[in-house]
Amino acid sequence: MDIDKLLKILEKTGGIEINNLIIKADELIINVPTGYIKMPLTQKVKQKMAEEEIIIKEVPEMDFELPIEKYPGRIREVQFGKPKSEGGRGVVVKVGGQRALYRFEEPYPNPPVVTFDIFDIPLHNLPKPVKQYFEDVMEDPCEWAKKCVKEFEADMITIHHISTDPKIKDTSPREAAKLMEDLMQAVKVPFVIGGSGNPDKDPLVLAACAEVCEGDRCLLASANLELDYKKIVDAAMKYDHNVLAWSIMDPNMAKELNRKLISAGLDPNRIVMDPTTCALGYGIEFSINAMTRLRLSGLKGDELVNMPMSSGTTNANGAREAWMKKEEWGPREYRLPLWEITTGLTMLLSGVDMFMMLNPIAVKTLKEIGRTLTSKFGDVKVKLNNYDWIIA
Amino acid sequence: MKKVNVMDIYKLLPKVNCKRCGYPSCMAFATKLLEREESIDKCPVIKPENKKKLLELISPPVKEVWFGNSTRRVLLGGEEVMYRYEKTFFNPTAIGIDISDNLDEEEIKKRAKDIEKFEFERTGEKLKLDFIVIRNASGDVEKFKKAIEIVENETKMPIALASLNPKVIEEALKVINSKPLIYAATKETLNDFIKILKNLKNKDAALVLSSNNIKDLRNMAAKCLANDIEDIVLEPHTYPENIAETLDYNVIIRRAAIERSDKYLGFPILNLPIKAYYYALQYGCPMEKFISKKEDAAKMFEATIAAALINRYADALILHNYDIWELMPVLTLRQAIYTDPRKPQAVEPGLYPIGNPDEYSPVILTTNFSLTFYTVTGDFEKDNVTCWLLVMDTGGKAVDVSVAGGQYNGENAKKLIEETGIADKVKHRIIILPALAASTRGDIEDKTGWTCVVGTRDSSQVGEFLRKNWDRILNEWLEKHGEKS
Repeated sequence: MDIDKLLKILEKTGGIEINNLIIKADELIINVPTGYIKMPLTQKVKQKMAEEEIIIKEVPEMDFELPIEKYPGRIREVQFGKPKSEGGRGVVVKVGGQRALYRFEEPYPNPPVVTFDIFDIPLHNLPKPVKQYFEDVMEDPCEWAKKCVKEFEADMITIHHISTDPKIKDTSPREAAKLMEDLMQAVKVPFVIGGSGNPDKDPLVLAACAEVCEGDRCLLASANLELDYKKIVDAAMKYDHNVLAWSIMDPNMAKELNRKLISAGLDPNRIVMDPTTCALGYGIEFSINAMTRLRLSGLKGDELVNMPMSSGTTNANGAREAWMKKEEWGPREYRLPLWEITTGLTMLLSGVDMFMMLNPIAVKTLKEIGRTLTSKFGDVKVKLNNYDWIIA
Repeated sequence: MKKVNVMDIYKLLPKVNCKRCGYPSCMAFATKLLEREESIDKCPVIKPENKKKLLELISPPVKEVWFGNSTRRVLLGGEEVMYRYEKTFFNPTAIGIDISDNLDEEEIKKRAKDIEKFEFERTGEKLKLDFIVIRNASGDVEKFKKAIEIVENETKMPIALASLNPKVIEEALKVINSKPLIYAATKETLNDFIKILKNLKNKDAALVLSSNNIKDLRNMAAKCLANDIEDIVLEPHTYPENIAETLDYNVIIRRAAIERSDKYLGFPILNLPIKAYYYALQYGCPMEKFISKKEDAAKMFEATIAAALINRYADALILHNYDIWELMPVLTLRQAIYTDPRKPQAVEPGLYPIGNPDEYSPVILTTNFSLTFYTVTGDFEKDNVTCWLLVMDTGGKAVDVSVAGGQYNGENAKKLIEETGIADKVKHRIIILPALAASTRGDIEDKTGWTCVVGTRDSSQVGEFLRKNWDRILNEWLEKHGEKS
């Protein structure tokens, strides 16, 4: 009889009786799956089993060592602003400086930094729930900057000189520089200086602004391969600033750009990388991969990508799930900040050090959570019992 | 962890090519096993000792644990890598919502139904909630049992049972029909829970081990394994006071399992954003300065903590609220992180007729990033837009990204126009660009010779834009170029 057939029968019946069976073989292996054999339990046996105490096997207590890695590399620390003793305006902000990937290995030396986005002309197309915070100051970039610092805890200010775009107002580099001078008077925090995104005009605008902010360690935003980056590098070195190196979600591209900026004369300790932040739901996973890989390479010792990173978190406000009025999706005044928070938080946990942001709610949340990364592992004052929610 | 290759697996298979697994050869089956697309149970002839070896070889360093019923299961863990770019994350973070047994029958029914019905559609995927947590808030066993009965009758949702009291769980296990996730055994109650699970007849359950001490969690897991309890989930405490601490716990557990092959920590992780909600109500949260309704601020905090945890290896989360606005970012983040990074994010470039376009229909230029494509076509369908949609090869990048990156340009547009033969299909030469691509207008007009019109910022506004403007745009062009429609 075929063994398979025999097993099939066994499966269905639970038991068979074979009479007069003769087996002739050199070697006979019978694999009987354990599940098929049931011991008939009498009432008495059942009772006895229930009464028997189940014996728990004890295991000897084991020690546990935290899985801490050794990193051959470290992340460079970049400084913005200068102390008064060195002729600066007094506010100094530092980013980067990590020697480990995770807080339990070594707490972050610097908390993440938020730099508030402001614009040199009123931005009327901002969604209302965000615009409401700036409506009263949009006409005056200096007032705008002051409000962000005083009311919304901005660590830095990013001024976007968008009116310099030939297609918008074609404001001259000189006028942009004039605005920089006014802004430096208005607030003490360091600046990120942004252009309009026009590759021909931006180097001129950034160079003019860099000159009037000489020695203030601003961040020139940004250098990439599509424009005359040499001009931006020269301005940074001549007037003592840092440069934002912008690449598009590709660690190799980021590395190549850094290599070119360095060979054009830029001190690698003056580079912050922006590998592009895609909004949540619009490719954020590509940003996660790029940032994670860059940070890991940096800690592994790649000196061409061990720079701190920046994120254009404001991009999150472009996601339709954030700004669109749609009743089925609930209030957008909640969706907008949550989209920016989630995007920023995800970038933070992928290794980003500085955040260009727009919504005061998102800024406050990211800063509070970001600060916890500088706290020591094991040092938590617990207020809420872990199990109270069960009986809430 | 050492990498397993297909030969390692093949060596342990019978190598008889009997095809009973459904594959033409043992080698083909080995490939499927390596990709985790098949179970070794499909091989009827493998020797038991080889099966054991093979299971050890191909089991992921984080055990896959399931709970639920015959209709719906929650799969947790099964992870193999620390970073999503290395391979892929396997089982998306399961999200459960609590139900208190203090609610009256109608309230329980409604909440359970709401949780089951919850759905948020994105890029053609329906994002849903995964399980219901019935919590013994009343302290009364009968109420607990009743709540379980109601949820089981009303829904097909997998169930987690929450009570620290082993006696309550023991009673609940007598009435529940599915395999539940039990929350939770602590160091003090572990022996009682082991006894209960060992005593279970014809039933099964997965057990959450809870402690804020990783060494204790590990010893608890080791004890469970010694007592043949293998369906374990770990719950290091969730601290809304300082979420970085919990994120570290998660990393320590996952790194130990994956990079240090620590089998005692090789289990899925459960975290509790629900605590963030209650914490915010009691002690405040960063949002409350701006949000007048304290409860809504607390919900935002709950979503924020959930998002942080999804970024750091949470395999399951328990939340309290299910407002769509709160869960949208959480579910979208989960979808993004658990997308297979090896799958292309692009659709085929080319010409896509939407509706029944004719020779006077508008031509609209978008990118081949799949998310953009599906959003645009979805919106057009909803709004009855009729047009010729040109899908440009931007290497799978979105409009703004490809404009910035230079793939959305005149050269590519020209190539697309030639390849699709759109010029033979329409009598005009007008392309509508998304507002985000406004800056490429000059370049595209120069290279293609077509007239570019800057359209709307979002594809949902295109319908209205065309209804208001298309006839005028078309007629102006036709008049200028000596044609009449």
